[in-house]
Amino acid sequence: MKKSFKALFLTTAVTASLLGGCSGSSSSPAPGDGASYTIGIGQFAAHGSLDNCREGFLLGLAEEGIVEGQNLTVLYENSQADGGIASQIITNFASQKVDLICGIATPMAQTAYGVGKRQDIPVIFTAVTDPVAAELANADGTPVGEITGTSDKLPVTQQLQMIRTMLPDAKTIGIIYTTSEVNSLSTIEEYKAASGDYGFEIVDIGISTTADVPLAADSLLEKVDCVTNLTDNTVVASLPVILDKAARKNIPVFGSEIEQVKIGCLAAMGLDYIDLGKQTGRMAAAVLKGEKKASEMNYEVIEEAAFYGNTKVAENLGITIPEELTSSAKELFTDIDQ
Amino acid sequence: MTLLLGVLEEGLIYGVMALGVYITYKILDFPDLSVDSTFPMGAALTASALMSGIHPAATLLLSFGAGALAGCATGFIHVKLKVRDLLSGIIVMTGLYSLNLRFAGGRANVPVFTQDTIFENQFLADHIPQWLSSYTMALILFLIIAVCKVLLDLYLNTRSGYLLRAVGDNESLVTSLAKDKGMVKILGLAIANGFSALAGSIYCQHKGFFEISVGTGTIVIGLASVIIGIQLLCPENGTSFLNSLKLPQVRPTTAVIAGSVVYKACISLAISLGMEANDLKLITSILFLVILVVSTERRKKVKSHA
Amino acid sequence: MLELNNISKYYNTGTVNEMCLFQDFNLSVEEGQFVSVVGSNGSGKTSMLNIICGSIPVDSGTIYIGNENITDMPEFKRQRRIGRVYQNPAMGTCPHMTILENMALADNKGKFFNLRPGTDKKRVDSYRESLSSLGLGLEDKLHVKVGVLSGGQRQAMALLMSTMTPIQFLILDEHTAALDPKTAETIMELTGRVVKEKKLTTIMVTHNLRYAVEYGDRLLMMHQGQAVMDEIGEKKAAIRIEDLLERFNAISIECGN
Repeated sequence: MKKSFKALFLTTAVTASLLGGCSGSSSSPAPGDGASYTIGIGQFAAHGSLDNCREGFLLGLAEEGIVEGQNLTVLYENSQADGGIASQIITNFASQKVDLICGIATPMAQTAYGVGKRQDIPVIFTAVTDPVAAELANADGTPVGEITGTSDKLPVTQQLQMIRTMLPDAKTIGIIYTTSEVNSLSTIEEYKAASGDYGFEIVDIGISTTADVPLAADSLLEKVDCVTNLTDNTVVASLPVILDKAARKNIPVFGSEIEQVKIGCLAAMGLDYIDLGKQTGRMAAAVLKGEKKASEMNYEVIEEAAFYGNTKVAENLGITIPEELTSSAKELFTDIDQ
Repeated sequence: MTLLLGVLEEGLIYGVMALGVYITYKILDFPDLSVDSTFPMGAALTASALMSGIHPAATLLLSFGAGALAGCATGFIHVKLKVRDLLSGIIVMTGLYSLNLRFAGGRANVPVFTQDTIFENQFLADHIPQWLSSYTMALILFLIIAVCKVLLDLYLNTRSGYLLRAVGDNESLVTSLAKDKGMVKILGLAIANGFSALAGSIYCQHKGFFEISVGTGTIVIGLASVIIGIQLLCPENGTSFLNSLKLPQVRPTTAVIAGSVVYKACISLAISLGMEANDLKLITSILFLVILVVSTERRKKVKSHA
Repeated sequence: MLELNNISKYYNTGTVNEMCLFQDFNLSVEEGQFVSVVGSNGSGKTSMLNIICGSIPVDSGTIYIGNENITDMPEFKRQRRIGRVYQNPAMGTCPHMTILENMALADNKGKFFNLRPGTDKKRVDSYRESLSSLGLGLEDKLHVKVGVLSGGQRQAMALLMSTMTPIQFLILDEHTAALDPKTAETIMELTGRVVKEKKLTTIMVTHNLRYAVEYGDRLLMMHQGQAVMDEIGEKKAAIRIEDLLERFNAISIECGN
């Protein structure tokens, strides 16, 4: 008796799980009714910049009149950097018949595109550094299908210019990157190509996991005059360690976005991920409202990088931030967040 | 329906890899961690091959072959260099990670959206009628895994297959039969990793891109599929609550594939219920535990009746 | 037919625990002989078997089967011409495979393990016949997994399986030691029958003096790596259990036990 009960329970559980997701579809509002929308937001990893993107995205939609809770239902899932889970998340969205999928970060965007094109769901991506390399856009910027979005390409030349302005005598710039982050590789290529123009030499060091960071940092700091960061998830997560070691050696560390400057980077020609998100949100709104199709919009990049500086860090390093930068700064921080 | 199809497709893709884990874990009794890197190796090779214009169907064979070679490496390290089973797998898994990046052309992410794959190509576009198009992928997967399963079943009933089954059961007997048990193990590992790489190849073509992180956790998925499948559908004492098929030996391979689908369904359920990705690993282990405990209880009952 | 020449084997050479197992040990077994080997624990009886089969290497000396020097031949290669039944009934069969599959495996010994069907349908009847000669009812259970059989049944199968294909000699390594008296008796009778029918050269190591006396045409008593008693034919037939016990005691006293 007990045995067959257990068996029955298991069978039911299994069947229920298979049907589980399907039940969701009946509760979502009908698409294109003019009034309400359902979107799925898939974020690849939990990470300050990506979180900012998402926030900005919702703000951008709200600016266009699509507000969560009023005429918008948002399904949000985070795959915690696991590709297999990302896949299931997107399949889930598709089965719920969402009106649009937002893919945050390259692997999520690619998965969304793969499913979206089969299920006729438009995809808006953000925080994808190189959409062309990821085959999410054509080389001339035009869409490859019902997919468009924004790219968080780093303003490399501006960063180099800024570093030169801040450190007139520096010769070498160090960069730590994760070998499995394809965006890092392409950005480093750009740095190396442009560095000559500013009189710099780039020294890069690759790591595989968080555990490698301390030793890599030690090794790098021996050889360089300053360090700069990319939007590399693993490295950024370990930034406090790098900042600590660099501070002891009095070596300035430059960041790639606001959060990094807040916690101790000297300065950054940064991207405001919230702005990036807002821009993306506006694009998504246009698609949802039917004003434009995703296949008609080229992907967008934030051209203007803004200067962010941290005067406390500058003080600790004995560096004065030049007038031309402080006057045009978007924001100057006077303290170091722990 | 989409969800059902999605789960089925995922389950079938990983089912191919589960067939491989079935060979190493159940038949050879060898915990083989190298699948964590042979799965992405299949994906990496396929991505590069497709970019170079190699025919998609050929990439399947190429991946299987490469996986088999990797399996031979694990086997060699274990048999000839006398390294423990678990460690040999770990050594190959670690080394292959770097090689995989090279296979992918030095990149950690290689998209193949613009290439023809076994799921999207001219042949299919010409021959598949419209009403069938959303099921095409599932059908192709079904076909592939059916072929794999049938071939494996046939193989396990050949003389060579018997030897493979014997070496995991009682390796002294294999020596008594005047056969080199080391070579038999290497063969088993080769076949298993061939399947794993094949699964990786299919995965890459299904998703449309290769990403270096797809391999992490493959062995866990494989073990979960094998254990769930075997314990639910063909436990050792043959007292399955799903009434049995006539041929006992067919069931393990089918069971393992079914186990893969069930596992993916459970993950899907967990996501639908709003569980965070962080918790999914915990759920997997709880699932494992429940299945193992339930099966042990059943085994006890059988003994008391006998 | 089998010759062990000047075999020396030391354990833990060069350490404090160095132990000499064999020093200049010689043994010659003629074709068709059935040798019973007895001896106290540590006398080297099982080590001698292991040396013949190749499970342990020798430090010096040669081993010949017929005219062939097999001293350096790996274990699995030697097994082609040797059948071996172990003390542990679990070592002779595959528990997760059926009786039929086990028989088929044994039948394929010496042939190529290729992609031909594992079980030859035409041979099934002959397997049934061999199994029925055991009188244990196994011929009706061809599709049962061997793991559920009792120790005696598995040992009987092991005996059958090791003698199914043509071998040059049979090695029995205390093969009844783990069985209850009745089953042991059955297995010994079976052993006697099989050896006679197939005219196998046999070396049997046993602790059971009665079996040593009753079976075989040659008796060897081992002690500290030497053969202290070696009787053949009539002399062997005349030995009684008491004689063996006497001899055992004598050796023990010599050693100061």
